[in-house]
Amino acid sequence: MVGPLSVSLASYVQSSRTLSRWIKPIANWYANASGYRQYGFKYDDLLVEERPDVQRALGRLTTREKYDRAFRLKRASQASVLHAPLPKEQWIKPEEDNRYLMPHVVEVAKEDAERQMWDTVKVKKN
Amino acid sequence: MLAARVSTARNVQRAARSFATVADSAGLKVAAIDANQPTSAVTILVKAGSRFETKPGVANALKNFAFKSTAKRSALGTVRESELYGGVLSASLTREHLALTAEFLRGDEQFFVDVLSSFVTSAKFTRHEFEEYVTPLIESDAAAVDADPATYAVEIAHALAFRSGLGASLFAPSHNSITVEDIKAYAKSAFTKGNIAVLGSGIDQGVLAKLVEKSLAATPASTTASTSATSYYGGETRVEAHGGPQTVFIGFGTTGAPSAELAALAAHLSPAPSVKWSKGVSPITAAIPAGASVQAVYLPYSDATLVGLLVQGQSGADVKQAGKAAVEALKKAASGISPEELKTAVAKAKFAAANATESRDGLVSVLGSKVLAGAPATLEASLASFDGISAVALSKAASDLVKGKPTYVAVGDVKALPYADELGL
Repeated sequence: MVGPLSVSLASYVQSSRTLSRWIKPIANWYANASGYRQYGFKYDDLLVEERPDVQRALGRLTTREKYDRAFRLKRASQASVLHAPLPKEQWIKPEEDNRYLMPHVVEVAKEDAERQMWDTVKVKKN
Repeated sequence: MLAARVSTARNVQRAARSFATVADSAGLKVAAIDANQPTSAVTILVKAGSRFETKPGVANALKNFAFKSTAKRSALGTVRESELYGGVLSASLTREHLALTAEFLRGDEQFFVDVLSSFVTSAKFTRHEFEEYVTPLIESDAAAVDADPATYAVEIAHALAFRSGLGASLFAPSHNSITVEDIKAYAKSAFTKGNIAVLGSGIDQGVLAKLVEKSLAATPASTTASTSATSYYGGETRVEAHGGPQTVFIGFGTTGAPSAELAALAAHLSPAPSVKWSKGVSPITAAIPAGASVQAVYLPYSDATLVGLLVQGQSGADVKQAGKAAVEALKKAASGISPEELKTAVAKAKFAAANATESRDGLVSVLGSKVLAGAPATLEASLASFDGISAVALSKAASDLVKGKPTYVAVGDVKALPYADELGL
């Protein structure tokens, strides 16, 4: 899918046992090495949000999720000001790094596609 | 000869205006009338009115959730596809029933029955739809009733008269704590086989029964919704309001099945003229000041009735004068009624009852509840009950009514509006 979620082969890799056994360790290493967890981010905090569809998806978060997201963004901004990662106990652990926003983005993208379909639908009489 | 012909013609029409037979299709009650209308309508009538609600406003929220996304199609898909077929979808709520209606061209019943039944069987009740689409509708319903003192007064009157059950408002409180989980749980308890009747007009009963059997067979079968029997309390309240006419509601309630006598009493009190632009001959009309109005309110429910007079005027003094006249007329009816007045009242009440079944909404609201209750749902049965009314029975019903504690609601400028005792109650 082209969009905030970008092109992904994840589902293909996950469907194959051999591939996922090989690639998973590399993927985990890459996610840790890219350093966003050290600044207290979850992966979904990094999604491009300057888009109407992601804005709509953000609106569908629960109040708690919205609050936590805003907190992580502020904490990371402060860490950025200090030019240093957060102390280690505040890093996001791999098991905390859940995709809280992605399902909403997928849902919104589906709705947009459906609207597009209905806007351009051709009605045939049979 | 002519008289005989006229009466047969009448009977034919009456027969067409009734759900003569109620079929049982997969445990659901299905009734349909086909009077050769150019369009068809199917209503799913559910015992999910506000009297059964678990939390204030949940019934209203469920009504506003109608036709949102289901397992079969999204909210947008429902709207666009119905538009392609040229159908109209609507949902309405009463204190006892929720009605989901689709009106469409003949021949499209398969699609529209599917739209209605998929909401009943597989509505998703998503949180974002609740926040994005449903909450604004709930709020606009509540704002509309706030701006209409007549509806507002009747709402408050129900709360005073019946407290719980029928006292529950049709509208959500403006600050409510309804969540999508509440609505989901309410829908789950309401959408069961014993609670649902499917009513069609302009559609063959066999066709409808077959479609219903196919699409609603999966509905869980469980006991029907029930509440404790209604009891009547009554009382007085005054609510400050701005921007509308000064309004007073004077009502009396009874419990038990609605009687024809009370309908006739309401028709007797009603000052609505039979000829447009005239004043009518009701004793009330002559006594009320210009600009003030009195309407008779007759609200029958399955186990209670609220009868009353809604008085509106520009100023408190006008309302006081009109209210006094209204109460006087009510008391006069309680002390006795002349045979001519009785005849007029019965004819008026009969016409009102018959005319209510003329429209599709009326047909569903008048006869639908009877189908759901398993009672004979014919107009003839309800009209026949008017024939036995005597002047004595009518004034006895009125005096029994007046003996009870009145339900008195004043909405508007509470400083100027009269108190119940000032009107002679």
